[in-house]
Amino acid sequence: MLRNYFVSVAAFIGLSLGSISAHAQDAGALLDLLVKKKLITDQEAEEVRGELTREAATTSAGKWKMSAPINEIELYGDIRVRYEQRQGTTPDAMPGVPGPNDTLKRSRERYRLRLGIRGSLADDWFFGLRLETSTNPRSTNVTFGDDAGTFGKTSDGAFIGQAYLGYTGIRDLKLTVGRMPNPLVTTLMVWDADINPEGMAEQWKHSYNFSFGGGASTTGETYSKDSKSTAVATAAEPWKLKLDLFVNLGQFLYDDANPENPLGERTSTAGRLNPNSDNWILAWQAGAKLTFPKDIYFQVAPVLYTYTGNGDSFNAFFVGGQQGLTNTASMNTNQIGINSLLVLETPWEFGFKIQELPVRIFGDFAVNFDADDRATAAGHPDKGDQRYAYQIGAGIGQLKAKHDWQFQAFWQHTDQYALDPNLVDSDFFDSRVNIQGVVVQAGYAISDAVTFNLSYGYGRRSDRSLGTGGIGDIGINPLDKYQLFQADLNVKF
Amino acid sequence: MKLTHLITALALAFVSAEARADKLVIKGSDTLGAKLVPQLAEQFKAQHPGTTFDIAAEGSTTGIAAIIDGTAQIGMASRRAKPAEISAATAKGVHMKPTIVAYDGIAVIVNSANPVKSLTKKQVEQIFTGEVADWSAVGGSGGRISIYTRNTSSGTYSDFKELAMKKRDYAGTSQKMAGNEQIAAEVGKNPSGIGYVGLAYTKASGIKVMSIDGVLPSDQSVHAKTYPYARPTFYYTNGDPSGLAKQFLDFTISAAGQKIAAQVGFVPIP
Repeated sequence: MLRNYFVSVAAFIGLSLGSISAHAQDAGALLDLLVKKKLITDQEAEEVRGELTREAATTSAGKWKMSAPINEIELYGDIRVRYEQRQGTTPDAMPGVPGPNDTLKRSRERYRLRLGIRGSLADDWFFGLRLETSTNPRSTNVTFGDDAGTFGKTSDGAFIGQAYLGYTGIRDLKLTVGRMPNPLVTTLMVWDADINPEGMAEQWKHSYNFSFGGGASTTGETYSKDSKSTAVATAAEPWKLKLDLFVNLGQFLYDDANPENPLGERTSTAGRLNPNSDNWILAWQAGAKLTFPKDIYFQVAPVLYTYTGNGDSFNAFFVGGQQGLTNTASMNTNQIGINSLLVLETPWEFGFKIQELPVRIFGDFAVNFDADDRATAAGHPDKGDQRYAYQIGAGIGQLKAKHDWQFQAFWQHTDQYALDPNLVDSDFFDSRVNIQGVVVQAGYAISDAVTFNLSYGYGRRSDRSLGTGGIGDIGINPLDKYQLFQADLNVKF
Repeated sequence: MKLTHLITALALAFVSAEARADKLVIKGSDTLGAKLVPQLAEQFKAQHPGTTFDIAAEGSTTGIAAIIDGTAQIGMASRRAKPAEISAATAKGVHMKPTIVAYDGIAVIVNSANPVKSLTKKQVEQIFTGEVADWSAVGGSGGRISIYTRNTSSGTYSDFKELAMKKRDYAGTSQKMAGNEQIAAEVGKNPSGIGYVGLAYTKASGIKVMSIDGVLPSDQSVHAKTYPYARPTFYYTNGDPSGLAKQFLDFTISAAGQKIAAQVGFVPIP
């Protein structure tokens, strides 16, 4: 009687959980336990197990077949619709422009889709794949109505945004290769958040936990698939301090030279040998995060960027526009050259909580040690001091759950020869350097999965004797003034 | 004369029909079908004269497929039916019912000349996945390891992969054998050989059984599930068996049937 009761209970629990095969396996563990406790027989367990498997096999989830080496897999992504208006103003006296401060305005209704899977595999391997709309490396937006034909689909393709694999089998180390999420701690000042660099990354992280008044202990960390780390909890102490040390190294293939060894002798263009080696950007970052006692933290993560090789697309001297030229002539000067860039960036962040509300003060400072050469090559040997970029801001709140809100503002200044204009954020300062201004953002979580965000950015040219280097959406160079407004409805899953 | 012929023909037809009615088709596991089931069948036939058996031991997959297709009354399996098989059966209106008929331990065997006496679960996994390719890495006297496995239709092939190899793939150099006896024979001839067989096949000459994490496969360790590669073996039927299939199943799990199972080398149902 008792046995029948347990068989019934096991079957009920199992069938209740049996909507997916994983739950059937959970129930299998329960059956094993009941057998071990001699509450049911192996035969009874097998019959229940068969029922569970049969039940699971008829569900949608049960029909999915997963490769055996997959330990865990996650489907994730987001869909965003956006209204955006951005506008730029010409300088006071630009040849060919009919009047001062002529304005170019763009209003767009846009959407984006990002759909990814990521997971962990047997033996400490992991992988990720993400499809994204848009071919632009610094944007995943598609503009409504911007197609050939009414409601055309020519701009609505999906592309591989991320495709990477990695290994975490060595303590504290994470190795990644492929087209990956940016492994560096950085800000929009230097890297657009949509860029997924291609190449290799090596990340090391180790945590040290100190307990004052009760001795000290050291704790290792493991990386999860989303790069977050989880420290092993230690016994509660009156006052604790945690120090995370980390190193992020990146070798990203910036521009492939093709061919490396052409037939015949190497040709020249404008007196310069045409390139025959790939161009890489190498990132060398070492950082620390100090957390005390648990809600207050300070993080600083200096990173040095060096460039090697030539590639075949960026091997020209950067000019970045020119004051006094017509707009077309100014824009036709080189905007993408990566010559003479040896940049040290130092992002930092200080965070704490006011009651349960997270507050963060953040900033970034960058200097290009080769700015003299870059300025000289651009025809401005007197502008070697145009080597700095900096950002400072503050934010309060977060958007994690329904009714959460967030507010953030920052000021940013970028000198003409300070940064790689091909990497900087494409929105708030239109992918430009030699510009400074303010950005204000507010967000509200309508539900756990849906957020509404408003953003406003205002920038103006910093050095009025130079252009505003970089290729943005506003076809003006120098871009004297710039404004951006965005309203986003974002669904995240 | 004609009447005599007619009576004879009718009599033969009747006998033939009776024979067809008492024929039991059993397909599936080589582990069960190579030794145990034929011996059970002989004993059963002695008690049920006129009964004939058609036993095909070509792997558990073929036995389960035969139940789904309706080409056998009993499907022998040394593994559980996979979700995809159960799903396919359900789609055809077949209810896969498992009945445990005996227990088994998948024994890891090496050549009797091999000095290695025991292995850990990790070492077994490393050997069969090819991570470890030389006997010196596991305390042996050196020499490239020759791996013998069952073929892919075998339940033992699947069970071993799940129980011993974390579902990883076998080494590319492994050699696939048709049955337990072939594996035992090859390992018995090859001093560098390693393979796995059901407990009933561990008495072959020239081989010895490895203890795994210090545990040898035995009645006790299999029942207690302390031997890591212990498993039940099954008869699969379409729903509750009936007729001859039920009689044979009942005989298999009866005291007499279990005695035969023990004699063959299986671990009887407690």
